[in-house]
Amino acid sequence: MSCSPFDLRDYYLKELTDPQQRQMESHMQDCPACRLELEQLRLTQAALFSLRDEEIPQRIAFVSDPVFEPSAARRWWNAFWGSPGHLGFASAAMLSAALLATAFTRMGGPAAGGLSSAQIDSRIQHAVAASEARQTVRTTQLVHELAQKADSEHQLRLVAESEMEYARKREYAREVKDGEWITPASN
Amino acid sequence: MIFRAVEDTDLIRQATRGSVESYNLLISRWEKRVYNYLLRITGNREDALDLAQDVFLKAYQNLRKLDDPGRFAPWLYRIAHNEAYSLFRKRKPEVDGETIEPEATEMGVAVGATSVFPIELSLAVASALERLSPDQREAVVLKIYQGFKFDEMAEILSCPVSTVKSRLYTALELLKAELAPISPRGVS
Repeated sequence: MSCSPFDLRDYYLKELTDPQQRQMESHMQDCPACRLELEQLRLTQAALFSLRDEEIPQRIAFVSDPVFEPSAARRWWNAFWGSPGHLGFASAAMLSAALLATAFTRMGGPAAGGLSSAQIDSRIQHAVAASEARQTVRTTQLVHELAQKADSEHQLRLVAESEMEYARKREYAREVKDGEWITPASN
Repeated sequence: MIFRAVEDTDLIRQATRGSVESYNLLISRWEKRVYNYLLRITGNREDALDLAQDVFLKAYQNLRKLDDPGRFAPWLYRIAHNEAYSLFRKRKPEVDGETIEPEATEMGVAVGATSVFPIELSLAVASALERLSPDQREAVVLKIYQGFKFDEMAEILSCPVSTVKSRLYTALELLKAELAPISPRGVS
């Protein structure tokens, strides 16, 4: 069991805090066993350092190929949109342009090539009348179709009832003929 | 005292804005370290160089995802670690990731010819490193050769600090037994 207050290897590898290092230094002065252990670690590291680093056989570098680089216009465009200030300026400019365009359009009025109010009213009335006429025709068609459908269903129902009545009477006649008629029990 | 005119963090910021020159300067500062890290965990110069190129390309492509430029080193080594282990998996797809053995066939060749140490010692060290498990060897490489702190190693290896320490200290005990079997001196 080690007598040192901290792991000797942590001390040797300088992984202790400063106060811990100082505590270990103090301990090392009085402990021959720990000094021997430390000496062995130093010798081991010295032996390991006999393997020197090699030079890299071929330098590594990357080439900036112009083919893959963006054009000057593209770089300006990217830089423009990459800047918050520029982006704010562009937004403000677009907003101003929209406001100006709206104001100019309103100021133009009918003289600028638009329709008069009477013409607009007339066209609206015409469009509404056409729409109502289309709606009336469509409604008439729907009522007619529904009436036809109801009539057809009524006819079908009459035929079905007639068929059922016929079948019921035939069954009754067969039972009477075969003598299988059973008088209902009277209470 | 030596001051760097431009810090890594400045180069990283410029590189994220598209400056390839800045990134190349950043590479020139790190390529040797990354190459040697990869060489020591793969044991193969060709693989180490290919992987280093892939690492710097991947780092460039993902540089914008690096939240703290001050943590560039562990982030870069994390990429290097992942690239190396992807290579091991491709070569041995049937082997589980925890038991992957790097190709250590050329570890002995990595002994420096210009070293001031005796060649026998360098060979003994290379041999001792080869006998470690891949995890232990990587822990030694990251701590002793690359000088990372435990928390950075944990980030690179994606494991707790306790695991990092366990791997490293086990490896150091094995290496110490082989490389520093000294007799006590001045000890009663």
